[in-house]
Amino acid sequence: MSGVLKLIIVVFLINAFFTYIGLYLLPQAESHPPKEIKIEEGITVEELVDIGKEIVFGKGQCMVCHPMKTETGMRAPAISSIGALMEKEAKERGISPEFHVFEALVAPGAYVAEGFENMMPPVHKPPIGLTEEELIAVAAYLQSQGSRVTISFPESLKILKEVLKKTGG
Amino acid sequence: MGEGKVAQGIIKGIVKITIFLIIGFIGIYLLKGILPPAEDGYRQFPLLGSRVWVWIVAQLHLNFAAFVLGVPIFAVAMEFLGWRRKDERLDRIAYDFAKLFTLAYTITAILGTVLMVSLPILYPKFVDYMIKILGPTWWVYIAFMYGEVFFCYLYFYSWHKMQDRKGLHILMGVMLNVLGTLLLLVPNAWIGFMTTPGGVTETGELVSRWGAINTYMWIPLTLHRLVANVVFGAGLGAAYAAYRFITAKTQEEKAYYDWMGYISSMIAIGFLVILPPIGYLLGVEIYAFNEQMGIQLMGGFYAWLWVMQAILIGAILLFVNYYLWVSLNKMPGGERYFRYVKFLFIVVMLGYAVWLTPHSVALSLEEARRIGAYHPILGKLGVMAAKNTAVTISFLATFLSYEIFRLSNKEPTVSWAGFGKFLRVLLMFGSSAVLIGLGVYSYMVPAVVRVKIISPIQFGIFFLAIIAIYVLDSLMYKNARTLGEPRWGQMPERSQYALIAMMVTFTWLMGLMGYIRSGGRQHWHIYGIMKDTSPEAYLPTHGFASLVVSAVTLIFFALVASLFWSIMKYEKLGGEKA
Repeated sequence: MSGVLKLIIVVFLINAFFTYIGLYLLPQAESHPPKEIKIEEGITVEELVDIGKEIVFGKGQCMVCHPMKTETGMRAPAISSIGALMEKEAKERGISPEFHVFEALVAPGAYVAEGFENMMPPVHKPPIGLTEEELIAVAAYLQSQGSRVTISFPESLKILKEVLKKTGG
Repeated sequence: MGEGKVAQGIIKGIVKITIFLIIGFIGIYLLKGILPPAEDGYRQFPLLGSRVWVWIVAQLHLNFAAFVLGVPIFAVAMEFLGWRRKDERLDRIAYDFAKLFTLAYTITAILGTVLMVSLPILYPKFVDYMIKILGPTWWVYIAFMYGEVFFCYLYFYSWHKMQDRKGLHILMGVMLNVLGTLLLLVPNAWIGFMTTPGGVTETGELVSRWGAINTYMWIPLTLHRLVANVVFGAGLGAAYAAYRFITAKTQEEKAYYDWMGYISSMIAIGFLVILPPIGYLLGVEIYAFNEQMGIQLMGGFYAWLWVMQAILIGAILLFVNYYLWVSLNKMPGGERYFRYVKFLFIVVMLGYAVWLTPHSVALSLEEARRIGAYHPILGKLGVMAAKNTAVTISFLATFLSYEIFRLSNKEPTVSWAGFGKFLRVLLMFGSSAVLIGLGVYSYMVPAVVRVKIISPIQFGIFFLAIIAIYVLDSLMYKNARTLGEPRWGQMPERSQYALIAMMVTFTWLMGLMGYIRSGGRQHWHIYGIMKDTSPEAYLPTHGFASLVVSAVTLIFFALVASLFWSIMKYEKLGGEKA
């Protein structure tokens, strides 16, 4: 066999090997852009919390940084106890829990949880770009993690707008 | 070669580029007139779809651009060394590389023209916006391109004429590289703006053009590409040498191309060593721009592709180590070191195994939630603390393979040789122990400490160790007794396939990393500013991406083979034309 032919075979085989790994040894899935979630008036708190959970684990990309349970070296507070943590923080700051939760979503740098860095982007702005309805659902889900859910739709819209106005969002 | 020929060569190069530009502009004008208006800012490329078409053309253009920007850097360095050391072989290798990159300019320009036509035709809304924000930089790009082409052809065509004015000729080569680097800065500003935009309002209105150019990603990306281009160019030089070695008819030719393959591959690996810390710097800037984008890139949808990256770089290290171990056969005295090869092999394989251990096998956030932070069986073995340690140890082992080969035909004559050898062992094992110790310690600290403090320290220790060993060896082996000259050309053919395999893997790696970098924007043309609303605004499966990367690699090698063939044809005709 000529040297050039051997070379061609080597180039093909190496490509085939890497392609095989990509095709058959790596998991296969597509990642599609998130869709806007519509929330109707009169939704129950439970339904709102469920929608919020869906956003937290999907479109909101919250789990990229937040672990579900407390672990060493975590970048951001654990989700499973975040409601309780936020209720405590709101008390310490002397503000309403609703205001504190919304502020944490749209102006996360305004108050940073102890022991963590200010690295969270405002989630109502691109690239995540949650709508007001979606923000309310996420806030309700966060409250449900160790605290009483006081956020509802559309009642909490007024507080959200107030927070957005105050934080310049 | 006379002055007339030099001027003729330059004019030919300038005319060629001008023709391609004119074809590009006419092509855009004609196609816009012929094709129906773009629906929602998009047109579809037949069969392949616009995304795959642009993906392939852009990556091929990038590969050749890396080649024509990277090779001149070390061609000039070789010419300089050849001049100062009065070594004709170095001058010849530099000239051979000049031949390669001068010829590669034409393919680069053709691919650039295809891309130049494709983008405004297939993505008119996106291109219109980019021109609105960064339009003037396009003219700067063209100006640098003309400057680079001028110096490229001047450098190549004046080679023989300026043999006795080497200093001035090298200066021309330096100018070629300066213009090449300036040229590289411009498209990197475009990519930087697309990925980490700045200088615009939230709705995309221009506030500061300089802000839109000087984004988070701009300079780190340029540095990363500059070094990667040298790696890529040198790798291609090694592949060329391997091809010529395999097809060589005389022993003299074999000896020269064996030597050329060795020099080129060592330059490639030498610069590859610098890439992880520069890549780290690029990562830090992406994190600084948007923490989520950084984490998405490193551990989100792309988590598995980083495992793929580890497979590729690990394979490169294995190919290079294998090449060096086989090379011991041609060194008089090399057989003394055969017994160490198996230990080096074990170290490199262990490092490889840890490196490609996945951190989290999750493909989606849903999966990540179900699985938790770590792999259910492998636990914390796959986290960055272990990987950084494995990478640095693997590179250290490769450096040791290189040092063993380099010095295998020498015996130190200095009085302190025994102590020197002990010190070398101490440096090698001591630095490995510290690297492992730091790796273990980084499990116990918060992520921020590991990322910002311990990882840079690990890279620092690695570089200090290789510099210290290199300096120590240089001092210890000064005036060393030579056991015999290397028997260049006496290499089994399989060693040359290792060099070809290394270059195929480099090309695959470049395609993969280009895809990850571009895919980091997800469904955005310009992250957070302009959404991709086309039907193709999704990330394909890893299998599909692998197929495209492979297709690009194969097309690239077909084009490169034609390049090599052209050079050999001209040499046969006795000409030096490129």
